[in-house]
Amino acid sequence: MKKTTILLAIVVILGAFVLTSAAFTVDQTQQAIVIQLGRPVGDRALGPGLHFKLPLVQTVVFFDARILDFDAKPEEITTTDKKYMNVDSYTKWRITDPLTFYTKVRTIQGARARLDDIVRSQLRVALGRYTLIEVVSHKRQEIMDAVTKRSRELLLPYGIEVLDVRIKRTDLPAENARSIFGRMKAERERQAKQYRSEGQEASAKIKANADKERTIILADANKQAEIIRGEGDALATKVYATALGQNPDFYEFTRSLEAYKQGFAKNTRFILTPKSPFLKHLQ
Amino acid sequence: MNWDWEKLQKQQQGRPGGKPPSFDDFQDQLDKLKKFKLPGWKLVIPLLILLWIASGFYIVEPDEVGVVKQFGKFNRITTAGPNYHIPYPVESALTPKVTQIRRVEFGFRSVGRPITQSFQQGVSREVKEESLMLTGDENIVSVQFIVQYMIKDAENYLFNVNDPEQTLAHAGEAAMREVIGNGKIDDALTTGKQEIQVQTRDLMQRILDDYKTGLSVVAVQMQNVHPPDEVIEAFKDVASAREDKSRYINEAEAYQRDILPKARGEASRITNAAQAYKEAKVRKAEGDAARFLSVLKEYDKAKDITRDRLYLEAMETILSNPDTEKLIMSDDALKQSIPYLPLDKQPRSAAPKEAK
Repeated sequence: MKKTTILLAIVVILGAFVLTSAAFTVDQTQQAIVIQLGRPVGDRALGPGLHFKLPLVQTVVFFDARILDFDAKPEEITTTDKKYMNVDSYTKWRITDPLTFYTKVRTIQGARARLDDIVRSQLRVALGRYTLIEVVSHKRQEIMDAVTKRSRELLLPYGIEVLDVRIKRTDLPAENARSIFGRMKAERERQAKQYRSEGQEASAKIKANADKERTIILADANKQAEIIRGEGDALATKVYATALGQNPDFYEFTRSLEAYKQGFAKNTRFILTPKSPFLKHLQ
Repeated sequence: MNWDWEKLQKQQQGRPGGKPPSFDDFQDQLDKLKKFKLPGWKLVIPLLILLWIASGFYIVEPDEVGVVKQFGKFNRITTAGPNYHIPYPVESALTPKVTQIRRVEFGFRSVGRPITQSFQQGVSREVKEESLMLTGDENIVSVQFIVQYMIKDAENYLFNVNDPEQTLAHAGEAAMREVIGNGKIDDALTTGKQEIQVQTRDLMQRILDDYKTGLSVVAVQMQNVHPPDEVIEAFKDVASAREDKSRYINEAEAYQRDILPKARGEASRITNAAQAYKEAKVRKAEGDAARFLSVLKEYDKAKDITRDRLYLEAMETILSNPDTEKLIMSDDALKQSIPYLPLDKQPRSAAPKEAK
């Protein structure tokens, strides 16, 4: 009775030990390969789930199954128009073939070194074919696609799949930035000057036009006034002529008298002879 | 259990006897202690099993989703409420917050607050290496923006990408720079903002979907877009130059609006004066004519006497002026003193002569 209990306990403990050292789980974020005495077992990596191995002789190596990030250091690159720019890129990659990966690069660090070599040189090659402004604007996608494609081909033998090489920042070295600032400033100053002189131009035009209009309005008015006056004079003349024509002799007489009255009103010396008709009653 | 009690009682009964504990007693107690373990096992093992089973319970909050892994492998998604999974090491559950909208800042950092929380407007610090970017017309502009995002696919979010948040930050920077690089500086500074936001959001989403990050970009919002500090004065001057331009034009228009009505008023004054002159002239003529005709009518009735009367009245008026010097002298005297003018040759008048 007691013996069997002890035996049972030993079996249970041993079984548990074997089970725990034989069974292993691979997380959803991982993949694994089994190594038997330094050699990979099987031709496929293990996906997530519960797996078994031989205790002691087999060991498990885990690899990340997720998309990994490789953020390269910014690098100065010369474009085809001989301009310098700092290009900061990142690469998204994944271990697609852990067996190959394990035999060729072994670790993530090793992979990073390969990525650094290949992506960097591919970027340099691709960017060297374009001008700065092409890199910055419309050729950007094209360049990234080309670099991604080429890097993917070159890294496939390492069990690595390059998903995307993307240019994050494209900055200018400080001295180039300064010259751009200078140009931006000059451009804006030119624009400001243009605005101001356009304003002055428009202002002068409007004022001159107004002055012209004023002169014309006044001249028109004066012309009109002379015509009206002339009409008045003509009409008056006609009226006078009609009336006075009835007895020109009498008009001349009365008008003369009127003229004498007005004409002799001041500083006049009269010398009258007794024969004057005015004095006939004085005789 | 019973026997245990009994022994305990027995021991306690023995104690009041006042005897100090002997070696036998000690041995006795040791035995008891050894035996005491047995009921412990019986109690603890079921309790541990119970606890183990209970450890499978977990609660998914309303803003979360439950993700259950079986031996590390993704197994199922569970929804809000109390849930159960087979306890460790068979199954485990993760509960990412999927409805929460998170926020990441680009080109600036809010001061004093964690990145994911709402920030105080204006209390931020520019990060120039992030904010300064090249535009398609080879200018440099400073863009500060935020990206709001949430988890749209918990499975992808948890298992597919090494660091989804970092990936989003990278994608955001790359996308905004690409969009800005495709446009002109004036688009970014003025009217193109909306378009840039939409394009950046779409591009980011496309990148994130390519990587299967399980993240959804809710919005891209530009916070502060301005020319670099080095040139900002020149940009401001352009704005004030534009103001100056319209000011000059307004001033000229004011001048125009001032002088033209005045000129029209003046014109109207001139023409009206002429009109008045005309009317006055005509009326005077008519008046004069009427007067002449009236007098003429009476004159015709008595020509001589009227003529004489008019003549005398005129002379009277002339000579009654005290300023007028009068001198009467005979013809002879006149001949002797001064050269004379033949006064009497005037047919009708009294022949007044100027001799000054």
